Amino acid sequence: MSDRVYEFLFVADPNLGEPEVDALAALVQGYVEKEAGKLQKVEKWGKKRLAYKIGRHREGSYVLIVAEGGSGLVKEVERRLRVTDGVIKFITVRVDEELRKAEASKARRTATEAKRRTRPSPPAQLEEGY
Amino acid sequence: MSSFSPGGQRSFSGGGAGARGKAGAAGRGGADKKEQGKRYFFRRRKVCKFCADKIDYIDYKDVKLLGPFAPERGKILPRRMFGTCAAHQRTLTLAIKRARAIALLPFAAE
Repeated sequence: MSDRVYEFLFVADPNLGEPEVDALAALVQGYVEKEAGKLQKVEKWGKKRLAYKIGRHREGSYVLIVAEGGSGLVKEVERRLRVTDGVIKFITVRVDEELRKAEASKARRTATEAKRRTRPSPPAQLEEGY
Repeated sequence: MSSFSPGGQRSFSGGGAGARGKAGAAGRGGADKKEQGKRYFFRRRKVCKFCADKIDYIDYKDVKLLGPFAPERGKILPRRMFGTCAAHQRTLTLAIKRARAIALLPFAAE
């Protein structure tokens, strides 16, 4: 079984300063590495307004971590995120399959476009009068 | 009896206006076309935004993209509003729900 790609997006407490958020991100990266996950990307979005209140907070610092690994990785990282102070919300999304599907549809489209270009005159399309 | 007859008259004249309006719309460019339903006016063929812009992956993190599909009250708009195709509406819905889970989009207006 090949490894899966997961996105861990979490919201840190807005009262934390930038170095503290960095430390938190490093901590979570440590969780990923401990579970033999391969880091692909770490992104800090900075402070953003939340769409709704979480606890008492109206703002939060978003951190995105993309990593490759098995299902054990999610289980462990989520468990740890749940008990980590300063993380007010998190979500884990498996993205590899969806990205693969997107890639496939892109390939399909470029293929059909290439075919269309080579064909001299396409038949009249009956799209208008449905 | 006297109070009834003006009502009847009004409804009759209303019917006349409706018929005239319909004739104007059918004739294309009648003077009273504007005040008769705007629906005839802006009837543009709706095309799925994601098909047109060739967006293969609808990312839940892209608030700018998702926002217009869940305006004001935060409700997901039905397909008929934007003309999104069925396949993209499905992925769009999933993306909006994910965005809600992480407070990028609201569940409901506050």
